[in-house]
Amino acid sequence: MIRKLLFWVITVTVLLAVVGPLLWIFLTAYKAPNDIFTTELRKIFIFSPTLDNFQRLFSSYPFWKNLGNTAIVSVISTIVVMFVSLPAAYSFSRWNTGGGHLLFVTISTRMFPGVVAAIPFFIVFRRLGLLDTHAALVLLYTYFNTSFATFLLYGFFREVPKELEQAAMIDGYGRMEIFRRIVFPLILPGLAVTSVFCLIWSWNEFFYAFLFTRRFATTVNVLISSFWGSIEVQYGPMAAGAAIAILPTLLAALLMQRYIIRGLTFGAVKG
Amino acid sequence: MNKELLYEDLDDSRPEGRTFTVDRKATVWEVLTSERFFKWTLLIPLVVLLIIFMLYPLFYCMYYSFQEWGMQGDALFVGLHNYRAMLNDQAFLEALGRTFKVLVICIVAEISIGLGLAILWNRDFKGQGTVRGLTLLPLMVAPLVLSLLWNFLLEYDFGAVNQLLEAVGLGKIYWWSPNLALYTICGITVWQWFPFSVFVLLAGLRSLPRDVFEAAKVDGAGEWYTFRRLTLPMLSPLIMIIVVLRAMWLIRLFDPLYGTTRGGVKTELLDWTVYRTAFVYFDIGYGSAMAIFSLFLTIAVCAIMFRLLMKSFGEV
Repeated sequence: MIRKLLFWVITVTVLLAVVGPLLWIFLTAYKAPNDIFTTELRKIFIFSPTLDNFQRLFSSYPFWKNLGNTAIVSVISTIVVMFVSLPAAYSFSRWNTGGGHLLFVTISTRMFPGVVAAIPFFIVFRRLGLLDTHAALVLLYTYFNTSFATFLLYGFFREVPKELEQAAMIDGYGRMEIFRRIVFPLILPGLAVTSVFCLIWSWNEFFYAFLFTRRFATTVNVLISSFWGSIEVQYGPMAAGAAIAILPTLLAALLMQRYIIRGLTFGAVKG
Repeated sequence: MNKELLYEDLDDSRPEGRTFTVDRKATVWEVLTSERFFKWTLLIPLVVLLIIFMLYPLFYCMYYSFQEWGMQGDALFVGLHNYRAMLNDQAFLEALGRTFKVLVICIVAEISIGLGLAILWNRDFKGQGTVRGLTLLPLMVAPLVLSLLWNFLLEYDFGAVNQLLEAVGLGKIYWWSPNLALYTICGITVWQWFPFSVFVLLAGLRSLPRDVFEAAKVDGAGEWYTFRRLTLPMLSPLIMIIVVLRAMWLIRLFDPLYGTTRGGVKTELLDWTVYRTAFVYFDIGYGSAMAIFSLFLTIAVCAIMFRLLMKSFGEV
């Protein structure tokens, strides 16, 4: 009995500690400045809600444009990553191409500190006029998502039985046809999970977006960070922007919980 | 079936028996999708990407780490000067020390919390799906947004945390003081990343063989003994993987700094120093040297941790 009680006390405490701060973003988004800057504890929950923050965010800042930039860059880079990772992962899983060395090199790109790529690409993109464009971010996000996507897909491909492909070969299918008509449909769920991961990571990325964009291609994270100015901090619009910007990833987490947890632990448990 | 027909088809000695005679030259597409080359064809995009995005930046950085260059004019070859300067650079060395501190604090805290909760939640209970779903949330939110969020929650006068502390009777704490700010940042990072350890270890616990634990129970082993002698050693490979992965990610900690102290109040970490050198002062040569150093540090730290952990778990 006491054990059970202890179990729930700990569990609920952890959940409160996790959910509380996130809930606070959504509460603050509806607060007027004098409800934000208050020392009355009860005002954390009890206040008269207002939409002022959202109105200011939409009228004075290019919020929707930046959110659109984030979406465009995330989606395009995820598609590009799939075109690179899908065939590569298939090759690694079916033929162990490169005897594992190439796969290891691919995975080890995750070890690369972001700045190692940032410095050369800043200079090159500047020369090519790619700074502050969507293309620059798409390229960089493709770079940092490919290794993980390849690794994750590699695991999914290994679950496709070889016998299926052999049967198809006996039926006279070519390699391309086998991939397109046998393996691809089977890998679709894995492809979906991997895509969600790439989308989330691109969506949340800040370092490259912050370095490589100024005005035109700024992502929503860069906009939100700009409210933290050196002169004043605009918590209202910041919370409103954050509340909208984190909604897609939170929804993904709640709807696809099992798959996301599986993907996260996949590399660790199977590797 | 007509046996004779079948043999006839397979008989190579008779030219008319071969079914796949090709007179024309194979097209590029046919070569690429042929049995022999298909596996390499599939890798073309990846290899191109790796060369452009891995080898090229690496050599570029290495090249400039031996130069003195401010993004304008000609680069000047200075040999090992940048690396020598780095070793005498007080700010850099302090940042390096802090990075190690953050590394140790965060990894130890995350794994302890993760292990505790994983063991706690490794059973079937009501609402376990909800519990897991909610625990997953911090991992899904942009680190930058979280750092801004915590920056305000920990504000001295208006922050919710200090107000709660005061309501409970404990005094307010100035979280962003030079003595505390680094630990505050560690706290934020742990808050975001402990779910990763929880889920990895939970998945590990689920995959452990049950009969071993039952046998231990039958033999009268206590809970602590079972944990130390059975659970921990069996989870050790996973713990090792968490340590290495987290070390890799923690060395490049950047977002939580940007949203909170921006490298002030004694919180400058390695990546921030590189950023400041290369993108604020535009000292590309020196910045590249630091970036290369950071890369080798990552490799070294991962290798050493791997060894150490292997050893310590071997003795348990």
